Amino acid sequence: MGLDFGKSGEQMDGNILTTTIDKVVNWGRKNSLWPMPFGTACCAIEMMATLASKFDLSRFGSEAIRFSPRQSDLLIVSGRISIKMMPVLKRIYDQMPEPKWVISMGACASCGGVFDTYTLIQGVDQFIPVDVYIPGCPPRPEDLIDAVMQVQQKITRGEVPKGLEQVSASAHAVDAR
Amino acid sequence: MNEEQTALVLEKLKEKYGSSLLAHAEKPDGVIVVVNKENAYALLEYLKTDTEFAYTYLVDVTAVDNSQLESELERFDYARFIVVYHLYSYRGHPRVRVKVPVHERALRIQSVTSLWNGANWLERETYDMFGISFEGHPELRRILMPDDFDGHPLRKDYPLRGRGERESFNFERQNV
Amino acid sequence: MHAELDQTTGEKMVLNFGPQHPATHGTLRIVLELDGESILKATPHAGYLHTGFEKLGEHLDYNQYIVVTDRMNYLSPLSNNFGYVLAVEQLLGIEVPKRCQYIRVLMAELSRLADHLLWLGTAALDLGAFSVFLYSFREREKLYSIFEKTTGARLTTSYTRVGGVLRDLYAGCEEDIRQFTTDFPKALRETHALLTRNRIWMDRTKGVGVISSEDAINYSLSGPCLRATGVQHDLRKAEPYSSYEEFTFEVPVGTNGDAYARYLVRMEEMIQSCHIVEQALDNLPTGPVNVVDNKISLPKKADAYGHIEGLIHHFKIIMDGHGIQPPRGEHYSATESPNGELGFYIVSDGSGTGYRIRIRPPSFFNFQALPHMLEGGMVSDTVAVLGSLNVIAGELDR
Repeated sequence: MGLDFGKSGEQMDGNILTTTIDKVVNWGRKNSLWPMPFGTACCAIEMMATLASKFDLSRFGSEAIRFSPRQSDLLIVSGRISIKMMPVLKRIYDQMPEPKWVISMGACASCGGVFDTYTLIQGVDQFIPVDVYIPGCPPRPEDLIDAVMQVQQKITRGEVPKGLEQVSASAHAVDAR
Repeated sequence: MNEEQTALVLEKLKEKYGSSLLAHAEKPDGVIVVVNKENAYALLEYLKTDTEFAYTYLVDVTAVDNSQLESELERFDYARFIVVYHLYSYRGHPRVRVKVPVHERALRIQSVTSLWNGANWLERETYDMFGISFEGHPELRRILMPDDFDGHPLRKDYPLRGRGERESFNFERQNV
Repeated sequence: MHAELDQTTGEKMVLNFGPQHPATHGTLRIVLELDGESILKATPHAGYLHTGFEKLGEHLDYNQYIVVTDRMNYLSPLSNNFGYVLAVEQLLGIEVPKRCQYIRVLMAELSRLADHLLWLGTAALDLGAFSVFLYSFREREKLYSIFEKTTGARLTTSYTRVGGVLRDLYAGCEEDIRQFTTDFPKALRETHALLTRNRIWMDRTKGVGVISSEDAINYSLSGPCLRATGVQHDLRKAEPYSSYEEFTFEVPVGTNGDAYARYLVRMEEMIQSCHIVEQALDNLPTGPVNVVDNKISLPKKADAYGHIEGLIHHFKIIMDGHGIQPPRGEHYSATESPNGELGFYIVSDGSGTGYRIRIRPPSFFNFQALPHMLEGGMVSDTVAVLGSLNVIAGELDR
């Protein structure tokens, strides 16, 4: 973490302190997720329902919806992604600062759903790393809330996001060479 | 809509374009006329500008690939595509469907954008999906598919699952 | 200062708007050429949600395709289910029982309410009125629960079947709907109080995105966007289908075809839809909801399990190549969906799947006319005009 504890720090068991800070950071992260909604189709309507009056996602500490990828750390891909849209999605994902999590909402984003056609990406996880998948066509708002909570649990457990995992794995491979 | 009016539209069209009508029919959903490509524009213009009929509303422009419909192919001199125009009149006349056979060897037809602004995107879509060129169209380019897309998806010989376009991008695929 | 600079250099600014932008409702994209803040040229781009619905229609059988129509217009799936099966039924030359026609009208009008409510919420949200979004979603959730109880799903309803509907209304449906239609006008008055005479809302929408009735017809606009220009045209009146001729309702029209007129037309349409819903409940006929034809409607489950004929009929409808097979030919049928004329042009080659299914999407034309409404206006009007058109990307791109 780059902290300098001086003499007294050396005497303490450094590991314990580091874990504690991680916990504090993760606790903060978990309760201040800023979602970037990438809503394209039907699932986007259910996503709006999740944000609106009845289901009210803000009860779970992630109501600060940001439409700029540079300000958000949770990408919710909800809806069908066509071959014309995929480069846009990839670019938006790349623009998000680390650490970032991705929820693939609904059958279409996760696997193409009922549309096995020439223009539809059969699962966005072919091109961007996905942390949580939500089944359903479209998933109910409760499912989306559950997915957000899953992301929160992952953060609490200190899990590395899928995207970072792959980055460090490929860096590892380069080192080994 | 009543039968007299249906008969009236058809009679007028037969009288004016009798020699260029390839077929015609009266159906519950309107009058269908099949006209050859040379006279299609004139017929559409007549229907739109005629003060009595005033088919001022262009409902739809689309095409059908008849390559797997043997009977239709035989009927219209083995023209692979049929371009279909749907017209609507606010004067209570029946809907008119104008069908124009287009051969694959001469895959073009005159654009009707000068008659209806609404035809612009419809013709672009028909071009995108079937590859039929519309002569005189202000900007005939793809509309639904990406600009660099190869092929015309609604043709019968184009596979439902595509030709691998959905897996190839200029960025890498992950290990899945 | 900036204007001077522009004049001296003659430079234009190109602003890309979308496809990922909160006000584009998903996947629309507009490229604007600006001179300072005024729009010189607007070029809308479509296709970011192209899914291949028309191609799928050539591979799915007639009942399977109902699932696809849900996902085409996800604001009012019931209207789309309705429009599609109507086209297939007319192609088959059958007419569904009166009760079914009324149930379909009932559901179509409720989904018109759902569509207009979502349009209202998002259009207002785009212009900064966040409370309206919450108010309209509160009402929408009530509709969702009615849809869910009737069809089994909140959004992707797939309620209609060729020759009928999935099932009859549930017990207690009438009370639920009556409760809604009683409460709804009051809730709508709240929104009227928030927006209709609101100075900001009026300034942002009045005289913005104007289109004349001649241009609207020339651009093939339909639905509320056409009626806002003063053309009194509604397919429910002009070419009544599914017993619409037995209902009394008004067709609201605007006068000047601007964004404010489109707002007022939709607000009034919601009240009229409420009236239609009430009439449908008052006069709901009794009787079966499916056509009595073993080649079209599925037999009752008890018959399918208990009698050999029932089992055979069930098997024949479900199996590939034995199901519903309309005669060779073609048919075009149009319904007044919440956004305008939704047409289905079906060409059949006599087999169990369509040979060509063409969808005439109202949003396609509304979005096409956008440059006409934008050019010469200010850049901030883009959001107001786009919001007032209610372009649904799923339907636009199919």
